[in-house]
Amino acid sequence: MTILRLSALLFAVGLGFAPAVLAQEPYPSRPISMVVPFPPGGVADLTARPVAAALERQLKNPVGVVNKTGAAGAVGMQFVATSKPDGYNLLLALSSISIIPEADKLFGRPPAFTVDQFAPIALISADPTVLVVRAESPWKTAKDFIEDARNRSGQISYSSSGIYGTLHMAMELLSHSAQIKLRHVPYTGAGPALTALLGGHVDALASGPAVVLPQIKAGKLRVLAGWGESRVAALPEVPTFKELGYPDAEFYIWTGVFAPRGTPEPVLARLREGLRAAVGDPEFKAAMEKLETPIVFKQGEEFARFFAADAKRLAEGVRKVGKIEEKKP
Amino acid sequence: MPPTSAALTTDRAGGGALALLALGVLWESRVLPLGSWREPGPGAVPVGLALVALAFGVALVVRGGSAPPLGGVGWSEAPRALVVVAALVFLALAFERLGYRLSVFVTVLFLVAAVERRPPLAALIYAAGISWGSFFLFSTLLKVPLPRGPFGL
Amino acid sequence: MAETLQNLALGFGVALQPAMLFYAFAGCVIGTLVGVLPGVGPLAGISLLLPATFGLDATRAIVLLAGIYYGAMYGGSTTSILMRIPGEAASVMTCIDGYAMARKGRAGAALAIAAVGSFVAGTLSVVALMLLAPPLANLALRFGPPEYFALLLLGLLVLAYMSGGSMLKALAMAALGLLLGMVGIDQMSGYFRFAYGVVELGDGLGVVPLAVGLFGIAEVLLTAGQATPPAVLKPRLRELFPSRQEWRESVAPIGRGTVLGFLIGIIPGSAHIISSFVSYAVERRLSRRPEEFGHGAVAGVAGPESANNAATSGAFVPMLALGVPSGPIPAVMLAAMMVHGVSPGPLLIQQSPALFWGFIASMYVGNVMLLVLNLPMVGLFVNVLRVPYGFLYPAIIVFCVLGVYAVNGSVVDVWIAIVMGVLGWILRKLDFETAPIVLGAILAPMVEMSLRQSLAMSDGHYAIFLTRPIAAGLLAAGALLLLLSFRSWIPFADKGVDA
Repeated sequence: MTILRLSALLFAVGLGFAPAVLAQEPYPSRPISMVVPFPPGGVADLTARPVAAALERQLKNPVGVVNKTGAAGAVGMQFVATSKPDGYNLLLALSSISIIPEADKLFGRPPAFTVDQFAPIALISADPTVLVVRAESPWKTAKDFIEDARNRSGQISYSSSGIYGTLHMAMELLSHSAQIKLRHVPYTGAGPALTALLGGHVDALASGPAVVLPQIKAGKLRVLAGWGESRVAALPEVPTFKELGYPDAEFYIWTGVFAPRGTPEPVLARLREGLRAAVGDPEFKAAMEKLETPIVFKQGEEFARFFAADAKRLAEGVRKVGKIEEKKP
Repeated sequence: MPPTSAALTTDRAGGGALALLALGVLWESRVLPLGSWREPGPGAVPVGLALVALAFGVALVVRGGSAPPLGGVGWSEAPRALVVVAALVFLALAFERLGYRLSVFVTVLFLVAAVERRPPLAALIYAAGISWGSFFLFSTLLKVPLPRGPFGL
Repeated sequence: MAETLQNLALGFGVALQPAMLFYAFAGCVIGTLVGVLPGVGPLAGISLLLPATFGLDATRAIVLLAGIYYGAMYGGSTTSILMRIPGEAASVMTCIDGYAMARKGRAGAALAIAAVGSFVAGTLSVVALMLLAPPLANLALRFGPPEYFALLLLGLLVLAYMSGGSMLKALAMAALGLLLGMVGIDQMSGYFRFAYGVVELGDGLGVVPLAVGLFGIAEVLLTAGQATPPAVLKPRLRELFPSRQEWRESVAPIGRGTVLGFLIGIIPGSAHIISSFVSYAVERRLSRRPEEFGHGAVAGVAGPESANNAATSGAFVPMLALGVPSGPIPAVMLAAMMVHGVSPGPLLIQQSPALFWGFIASMYVGNVMLLVLNLPMVGLFVNVLRVPYGFLYPAIIVFCVLGVYAVNGSVVDVWIAIVMGVLGWILRKLDFETAPIVLGAILAPMVEMSLRQSLAMSDGHYAIFLTRPIAAGLLAAGALLLLLSFRSWIPFADKGVDA
């Protein structure tokens, strides 16, 4: 064979191997995007950044946070659900990931995404919501509140971050469990919902604990009970609804990392490993402490179970809420 | 040209278009529940606003006889404007596929060299400067997320 | 009072340290650069740059963010005046008279008046913030949905005063804007309206794509093909600054704009966006020469620019006094504080006095810096206009697209801007004004939401609007204004008033 032909042959063989070589590039070999479907400064965003930074240190590969906002999270979630399952697009989602497809179903519209389009990787944090009222209001305990709600059905109002949002669903779960009827006034976000409570325009709010702790400490708000399985660490004297006899009132605002379904198992394993190490990272722990958000790490089977149970609760909750205008006064 | 009551004037064209849009909104709102006075539904305000818009549109058609005739509007800049629109459409389509720098480079080069007929070398340098320069400033330095295309461009 | 001055001294002690000055300056420069991008205003600016602050300590991060915030606001006026492209949604009104002034060769004057007006408004409102924060904040909290609704209805009345031409045409455009504002998820019921399965439309068409499209892109479409490109008369050096007459004409509007903007700004929520529109209408109504508006009235620049700046300062009142995220911008600032371990809340002032007063002091410092930065640069900015239009307009549309894209990272926004650009072009050809469309689109969802929230609060009883004093008061004021304007429609009323 001439040199030329030999070279050509080698070249062709080399080309043949190239795709295989490229495909065997170890993961990760490019920057990873952690998509946050909420605007900068919100709960999801503030949790995502330390996670991304810690994961970057573990994987020794850049992990950047990308905010893709819109439609209460649906835009970002849909983006990741439909992206290539190669492990370079991850989602940091809130519990609303289970709610949005249910709401879509309720309205008979094709869902923006479905929960099956994701492969859950790990849970990072899970804050139970807490019931807060103004300090001047007459209810000193959750029992007072629930009794009053029973006597004056539909008179006590509460704000939320939006219809079918996390704060709305939490309160709805309580209403069904305690068999009371409350008046819902939706707002556009957790901030306005809190402002409305402080301004006296509504009577109550289900909120993530971190946001209201300063107000509680300053004596402006009183916290009556929590939606968790156990008491909130920063509020040890506040009972849970479970203790008070309403076990169905369980709700967490949790953050978790997801990848599109179909991401290869080795990639998922690498990510699980990376995240497990990341949550032990001292810088990460410090960051979460500053945010006053406890780290609750679950993975694999544990996370899958938690996620499934939570999704079931929320799906039922959404169905029970139904469509607003189908309720007669 | 003395205005006739049947003339198609600019006001009438605008008013007519608005009225048509309002009718379209009314049609599209048919799936939205109207609710009640006590609890207005998702369809209530859109329908109300569409009716208001319809009223204004019709009023413009009726009273628009004294406006300049539609045919008199000069569209001399239209050819160039349409080319700009085409360039914008290209930019939007290419933005996330080719990445920021490539799509901006091609768009600016096209407009400056082909459309505006500026000297090719100047156009090339200018287009490269704008695309790479703005990317460096906003994406690299200020970390504004801008899309990258093939080969990380 | 003495205590406040003492605290302020503490604050300046913090803010004037060389390191802090550096961060404030860096913030101002970065903010200006980002703010010059069409559509990118203070909110987008600090949202985009928030991550860059995570490595810094709390006070430095806040000072940097405050600088970016102001810088973005100042930067927004520049493109509005020089090219009729809104630097942020609230600068739409500046586009109208500011650009008209530029066309007459008064670009430098307009830029200077905008800068000085913003400076005065910013400084005065920081003073008000400092002295009156707690009582104002408590007042502001009492604005609930019924009060909001009444205020926004007043805002709707403003629409009628925004144009110089036929009121019917202006109202028609307002109606169009109101309709466009209905696109998106209905927050009260969860229905997707007019979105046709495009998830990105869930939050509406977006004020930024609308404003940049209707003003920025439409402007280019109008002028790109003209045989003689738009002549923005290039002024000589002497003419770069406002004449004594122009200064005289801007004093009162700046004062009114500041007060008006600040009051609107302290109300929690997003009402502050409408401050520049309201100021424009007020200046127009009060002017002795209303026919000037739209053709380069100094008051049409001085008022809205001051109002805008004062409103954005006012938005910090509830945040600083009560630790409440009273709007999207304060929410980002609060998040920045939280990330750095500062617990915002009513006790912020007591617990972190250095941070609070340092922040206030750096707001003063930022305002001064921006004035110092911007005034000499007036000449530089005006020279941008010397670039031949054939080179300039492609760059303009690129920056429009960049700005619109940057806000949400979504190409859908770019498409909306393009469609709005074509619409704006056609409307301008037909001699319809496009500013009412923007205001209508902003107001519609807010009016609807506050109406339905109010009814939810009161279980369907409309009396809520009359039993709450602030709401009732605002509605009465609105009714009065409406009656007064009807009087002027009587044929034998004085001339010089719009019909």
